[in-house]
Amino acid sequence: MKNAARKLYLTLIIIFLYAPIVTLVVLSFNSSKTRAKWGGFTLKWYSSLFSDTAIMNALYTTLTIALLSAFIATLVGTTASVAMHSMQAKYRNYLMTVTNIPMLNADIVTGISLMLLFIACRVTLGYSTILLAHITFNIPYVILSVMPKLKQTNKHTYEAALDLGASPIYAFFKVVFPDILPGVLSGFLMAFTMSLDDFIITHFTKGPSVDTLPTKIYSEVRKGIRPEMYALSTLLFLTVLILMILINSSPKNEEKPSRKSQMTSLVLRRVVPITLVILITGGGIFYGSKNKMRSEEQVIVYNWGEYIDPDVITMFEEETGISVIYEEFETNEIMYPKIKSGAIAYDVVCPSDYMIERMVREDLLAEINWDNVPNIKNIDPTYMDQSKSFDPDNAYSVPYCFGTVGILYNKTMVDEPIDSWNVLWDPKYTDNILMQDSVRDAFAVALKRKGYSLNSTDVNELEEATADLIEQKPLVQAYVIDQVRDKMIGNEAAIGVIYSGEAIYTQWENENLEYVIPKEGSNVWIDSWVIPKNAQNKENGEKFINFLCRPDIALMNFEYITYSTPNKEARALIEDEELRNSTIAFPTADMLKDCETFRFLGNDADAFYNELWNKVKAH
Amino acid sequence: MSRTLIDFVNISKSFHNNLVLDELNLSVKENEFLTLLGPSGCGKTTTLRILGGFETPDSGQVIFDGVDITNLPPNKRNLNTVFQKYALFTHMTIAENIAFGLKIKKKSKAYIDDKIKYALKLVNLDGFENRQVDSLSGGQQQRIAIARAIVNEPKVLLLDEPLGALDLKLRQDMAYELIRLKNELGITFIYVTHDQEEALTMSDTIVVMNQGYIQQMGSPEDIYNEPENAFVADFIGESNILPAIMLEDKLVEILGARFACVDVGFGKNQPVDVVIRPEDIELVKPDKGIINGRVTHLIFKGVHYEMEVMANGFEWLVHSTSMFPVGTEVGLWVDPFNIQIMNKPESEDEEAVGVNE
Repeated sequence: MKNAARKLYLTLIIIFLYAPIVTLVVLSFNSSKTRAKWGGFTLKWYSSLFSDTAIMNALYTTLTIALLSAFIATLVGTTASVAMHSMQAKYRNYLMTVTNIPMLNADIVTGISLMLLFIACRVTLGYSTILLAHITFNIPYVILSVMPKLKQTNKHTYEAALDLGASPIYAFFKVVFPDILPGVLSGFLMAFTMSLDDFIITHFTKGPSVDTLPTKIYSEVRKGIRPEMYALSTLLFLTVLILMILINSSPKNEEKPSRKSQMTSLVLRRVVPITLVILITGGGIFYGSKNKMRSEEQVIVYNWGEYIDPDVITMFEEETGISVIYEEFETNEIMYPKIKSGAIAYDVVCPSDYMIERMVREDLLAEINWDNVPNIKNIDPTYMDQSKSFDPDNAYSVPYCFGTVGILYNKTMVDEPIDSWNVLWDPKYTDNILMQDSVRDAFAVALKRKGYSLNSTDVNELEEATADLIEQKPLVQAYVIDQVRDKMIGNEAAIGVIYSGEAIYTQWENENLEYVIPKEGSNVWIDSWVIPKNAQNKENGEKFINFLCRPDIALMNFEYITYSTPNKEARALIEDEELRNSTIAFPTADMLKDCETFRFLGNDADAFYNELWNKVKAH
Repeated sequence: MSRTLIDFVNISKSFHNNLVLDELNLSVKENEFLTLLGPSGCGKTTTLRILGGFETPDSGQVIFDGVDITNLPPNKRNLNTVFQKYALFTHMTIAENIAFGLKIKKKSKAYIDDKIKYALKLVNLDGFENRQVDSLSGGQQQRIAIARAIVNEPKVLLLDEPLGALDLKLRQDMAYELIRLKNELGITFIYVTHDQEEALTMSDTIVVMNQGYIQQMGSPEDIYNEPENAFVADFIGESNILPAIMLEDKLVEILGARFACVDVGFGKNQPVDVVIRPEDIELVKPDKGIINGRVTHLIFKGVHYEMEVMANGFEWLVHSTSMFPVGTEVGLWVDPFNIQIMNKPESEDEEAVGVNE
């Protein structure tokens, strides 16, 4: 009985620990694109993963950073350990504490402080800053694993070597180093693993166009997780697993010198380093030759993940000879501080409406020279007018994508015509309602329902909306973001609040879904291209924007992104008549009559919204 | 004896304000087996490490073969050390260990192979070339450490408590082995130990040290029979050390009783210390000795009996081949020749005064 309980407990713990990873691994072999259903076994995500050059570049960056940083950190850390070992115990303990602190320090603190340091020293963020950051956080791990080995060594062996005529350096490498080698190796492997794994510190210290696998994966998930990412994460997990096994088994080999350990040491001393050198130089030549064609002229683009057809970038480079350095962000709030701090001088950025308003207000943007953007004529004036809510003189921004927020419902689960937000408060649909898990989107629904502005700062209106949201809470199945799409496709809920671009996609996957913009009005959002004030290549940035406004290019992007394009000429080129006339993709002026864009309400109002939202969530 | 090889001149050394050696002066002759003997912390190991080059003295000089080597690094000195815990290179074979110094000196392979064979034979470990260090016993490892040192043909071999980690039987065997080695090699041995028996067995010269000072230096017989102060007497073997008054030449008063002795020149009514070795006290019938006492303890030690006799308020330690049961009334008699008179130290400092040649 007691034994059974023990086994059950152990099983539970193992399930708890490994169930997520097993899910991931299983999904990586699922031929269906959604998580909701199993479509049979496939390796296609792995093959498409390996044919994706952006991911392969990220892989190469990850590996070189991990190897170089682990190697340099091992060098520095081992030297430091030797020096610290010969110190007086008092100073040594003091220094050990100092070197241990960065390990316990939150990654985000390390990341931000390194970024600030780099900016303060006017170092351009890029490959070298990631490398420096990784070396920095890896050194303590090396010291941690070398120090105990040093303490174990008999200090007299070193003296004995000197006594027998060895110079101090010869004595160290001949006598001390073999003794601490297991520690040095496991330090190296640990540093390698840490570097491979790191996301946060890399995220803060990386520059445009440089991505490691973790940051790449993160920027890929903006449009929902691509199945290739399951495959990639599975491979990453396996690599780290193998490394951890190596780390934990390497010291044992050294304890009993045997033929096997001689083999191991031969492998470690000769085979591994040679392989690494070949890998790095080979990769370097490959990488270098790929980048050679890049000309001096460049434009640094900062865009949402999955928000441009990669072929468009290639075409732009071929047609203009300007090379594009492309970096992605996930939310406006992640993009904003990078622009604000001036850490990287981006040439074109694609923020959303309210963020543009804020950036204009904080004088972060440059006025666009319209002479360089003649294709602006292709943009539907309706959206230029809509833009005036955040860019009153149409001086700073060129609309790129737009969409609405509305209700997605499953016709088989709802039998009445839906045209109002009120349906989200109908007890009939208890546990069948999905709400957006973000403060402004949730309040927009509640405010619009009562006929208020979704940019309201009226305390009474907001209190009322809060009360309504609390009242609605028992009916809501879940507050989610990306899962609205998957859950609705999988028939898991009847009604959900969703973005129009996603609605089109869900209809392709599940024909029973219908999208409507409620009659009370809703949110219309616009993401527009802007040029930051500190841009180094403003003219190239304008050329890039102009290129994106070309009808054929805008069409390519529309087909790739599936979000509505404000480019009227591009819309005219759409071959699929149904799509061209779709009111989801291209709502009529009448439908947009009561729709508003979000505006930047100021920090105080933001804080008040968050406070009220927390009240709702905590209720 | 032969000429002086090593001279320590006014060597002082302290660690973290803790004075370990104070103005030490010491000469070592060629071919000598010299032992530095003393309790832990007496400065003997520091003296050896200064000679080996692992410590630099705060002041003073080390002269080796007429050359000042005070600041010469260890790898430039023509001497080798055998360390307390062997300090063998565990990732090398025995042969590689022994060849370590020779390879640095860039000797030919044939020369090195010869030397390895010779050295292993010398320490009675022929055929151990390809063994791993871990597979050897403590005694064998110690011999390899010695072999590794002597193949370099040093003028001096320094041994830092080399037998300390071995068990008693092995220790005695190795002691004879070392004497044999020293005689075969014909080089100087400087040996550090806290074991007085080892020191007495092996040495030509013993240097007794305490608290950074040399207490006495001499042949094992001198040190044993004529300790110059209470510390030496106490440290070397067992002894009865008593306060006494030198009444006049050749007459000393111990615990109120008058003992004849052979020492002269201490003056009259002078307080002194007296050393009487336990085996020098003869137990006789009551009133036949100089003082009377009663046996309080009795232990059989094999070669002799060890007894404690209470007489005149002092527990005398006595070694005798005759047995007297506890409670027996006995008389104590000492041959005047076996009473060793020592000056009383006048102050704390003088208790540990340096003794110069």
